[in-house]
Amino acid sequence: MSKVTGSNSPENIDELASEYVLGTLSAQQRNEVRKRMATEPELRAAVDGWERRLLELTEQADAQTPSPFLWRRVQRSINSSLQQGSSTAATSWWNLLPLWRSLAASGIAATLVLAAVLLLRNAPLNETAYLVVLVAPQDKAPGWVIQTSNRQEIQLIPLGVAEVPRDKALEFWTKGEDWQAPVSLGLVKPGQKLSISLDKLPPLAPNQLFELTLENPNGSPTGKPTGPIQFIGRAVKVI
Amino acid sequence: MSLPEPTFDYEACLTRCAQGDQQALRVLYDQESARLLGVAKRIVGDNALAEDIVHDAFIKIWARANSYDSSRGSARGWIFSVTRHLALNFIRDNANHALADELDHESMADQASPGIADSFEYRARSGRIYTCLEQLEPARRNCILHAYVDGYSHAQIAQKLGTPLGTVKAWIKRSLLALRECMG
Repeated sequence: MSKVTGSNSPENIDELASEYVLGTLSAQQRNEVRKRMATEPELRAAVDGWERRLLELTEQADAQTPSPFLWRRVQRSINSSLQQGSSTAATSWWNLLPLWRSLAASGIAATLVLAAVLLLRNAPLNETAYLVVLVAPQDKAPGWVIQTSNRQEIQLIPLGVAEVPRDKALEFWTKGEDWQAPVSLGLVKPGQKLSISLDKLPPLAPNQLFELTLENPNGSPTGKPTGPIQFIGRAVKVI
Repeated sequence: MSLPEPTFDYEACLTRCAQGDQQALRVLYDQESARLLGVAKRIVGDNALAEDIVHDAFIKIWARANSYDSSRGSARGWIFSVTRHLALNFIRDNANHALADELDHESMADQASPGIADSFEYRARSGRIYTCLEQLEPARRNCILHAYVDGYSHAQIAQKLGTPLGTVKAWIKRSLLALRECMG
């Protein structure tokens, strides 16, 4: 070995990115790359570079005309998510597509969220309120709601009791769009309702990411999310 | 048309999608659905599944059009990446099942014609990547093509080429480095 390289050396990052784009990584490795891309600009840039380099190889696959039903299916799927709220021009909480898309999986949870939103609407009118629905990444089932009527404090409300392995804990994270890395908001017990002060962080902003990951009982050893994401969602402004 | 029209404005289509213009998605669909279906079909191997992938891809393109960032790559590249990765996720998430099928199938094929060196029917085109691929040995070039175009795992490529798994992994690693060097 003429050169010692850590797992985060530019060479290793580029190698990981190249095999991710080429397609040879396992499901688990692919998941890890996707997660890391959200917080690691170097990895994201390396992946973008490989997407660009290899794109022309898509020409090796013969084009194939889709059945005439395929477009109708696409259209139906889009319209069914639009129907939830197209009657008003102003952007309102009932007109937020990402919110409804994330809720499509569960009508019961939608009712709970509606209740939470109605509570929010009693908040003082001069405050900007935010709502986050945290859903499971695989089946999009909502598990938690975050509500706030004040940009310095949030409430995390469980919609059920999440299952956590005995030797693991749920850790709560947030990351604003222009932040370098997620910040831990502490450990959360399944089913626990929690008020968290954000006074050491920038004020809550639209699209701010929140997630719950599975970590060691004392929290992530690195100070960054290391375990699989259990629930994830972004802040939407409630007007 | 077998090649994308250079004048087609993919980025404008995505901008209009982000604004909720369904007609723009339809234009994009008319422009690329057949090629995207071809790409998905090669990876998942089944017509109905491939249509599911393309369906999901267009839903994702519609929902995520506002997150497309032109500084990260071309709009056309983005929609192909979205589709390819959906297909790859699908086959990797269902890997145990698919791999078993594939191995059964391939071990029979191997008995008939062991160690096919030039197994990938390869059509060289004019892009930079093709110039660089031409500089690789055929067997190594096939590894890259089977992985990217067919979505084969290391193990599937090893079976297909009748080459040890470790060799395939090393070939791919070195070929990617060579491509990186050749393409910049």
